[in-house]
Amino acid sequence: MLTRRHLLVLLPATATVALALALPASPALAQTAEQAEAFIRQTGNELAAVVNGPGATPQKQQQLQAIVDRTVDVNEVARFCLGRFWRTASPQQQKEYLDLFHRVLMINITGKVGEYQGVSITVGRAQSREGGMVVSTVVNRPNNPPSKVDWLLNWENGGWKIVDVIAEGTSLRITQRSDYASYLSHNNNSVQALINALRQQASQQG
Amino acid sequence: MPRPTSPFPLLAAALALAVLQVGCATKPPASEPDALEEYYQTNDPLEPTNRVFYAINNGLDTVLLRPLAVAYRNVVPEVVRTHTHNLLTNLSEPVALFDDMLQARPRRAGDSFMRLLVNTTIGIGGVFDVATGWGWPAHDTDGGMTFALWGLPNGPYLFLPVLGPSSPRDASGFAGDIAMDPLTWIGQGAAVSALGYSRYSLNAIDARARVLDDLDKIKQTALDPYATIRSLYQQHRQSQIDEARSGEPATVPAWFAQTRRP
Repeated sequence: MLTRRHLLVLLPATATVALALALPASPALAQTAEQAEAFIRQTGNELAAVVNGPGATPQKQQQLQAIVDRTVDVNEVARFCLGRFWRTASPQQQKEYLDLFHRVLMINITGKVGEYQGVSITVGRAQSREGGMVVSTVVNRPNNPPSKVDWLLNWENGGWKIVDVIAEGTSLRITQRSDYASYLSHNNNSVQALINALRQQASQQG
Repeated sequence: MPRPTSPFPLLAAALALAVLQVGCATKPPASEPDALEEYYQTNDPLEPTNRVFYAINNGLDTVLLRPLAVAYRNVVPEVVRTHTHNLLTNLSEPVALFDDMLQARPRRAGDSFMRLLVNTTIGIGGVFDVATGWGWPAHDTDGGMTFALWGLPNGPYLFLPVLGPSSPRDASGFAGDIAMDPLTWIGQGAAVSALGYSRYSLNAIDARARVLDDLDKIKQTALDPYATIRSLYQQHRQSQIDEARSGEPATVPAWFAQTRRP
């Protein structure tokens, strides 16, 4: 129970915390923007190195998967894509869904290794948006016009994690969410039906 | 007894029947705020009708446009395809210029003007895209964006026969662009109209060939390709409009920037 004495102790403490947060706000923000840019630069270089590097396709796919696992918050993306149906799903369904989402995402990403031969990424500026950071980049592929790709990052457990990729103004996770939402609305809003469809996708393409 | 020589009367009858039967999407009741929010966000009250046209277009695409695009990509060398694309882009540059002007975007209009000038002359009628290298790259602009910048509402999502994803605003813009196109009005006679039709056909094949892999991928990976294409179209249009509204980069030609910078 909070007594008046507790409150008196708490008050200066919160004030100090608030001050500490407020005062160096702009240098800290500038620093985090630089960190976010550096994070995307490094991740982009790693991805390009794997895609353009030597080695057989299965080996490259494995390397790509390792990078994605480390840099993308797949569970967060999965929850976003299920939208309001995440709450109506049972814990068992949630677990199953996360697992399948992860597998299907990996298949879709690693399936494109061959198409991205010769890719290079130029990192632009980072801006804070939607509680995270957006780093804008330009992705160059031979015989393709340069495309604008924005990366939405969240700060989690002392590091940046990718939560969305916005290519030429189209967000991957919003597109995915509308795909799932439409499928659900044509299948009696049954999360189990979606899980079954994802399982089929994972087994067909995997 | 005269018999219809083409399947089109039958198709039209089937279409009319389908539209009458399916009509509009049912709006969720107010007791389901999440579902209602989704209904407004997808902005597709005519979904059942749109899906009928989607199915028809998809069928036409499978038997006609996609095979043509695949053949075009496999038979015609890449160099020729690039120059064809440049030529088609240059032919639509006057309309782009008019749209930029109507949008009151002087710098983008400047880009379009220089592109038309440089590519038509030095680029030999637009076969070579010299302007991009000189610092006047192409940008997206059309009548639908013009109406959007004028503040006209978009209206509900439409999936139109042959034309595909659209909206009342975008469809009106498309019609406006055709009306503004000097090539719609220049010349008369069979040769000119034949050229006009080949331009439209070539444009369709060129555009389809450029999205061959992407569209195949969507149809392969999406649970509901109709909804995925709808979302992609709506997001892409919004980003194009946002860029036209905010993006007014200084059009400094590449050679000028190079001489200025140490």
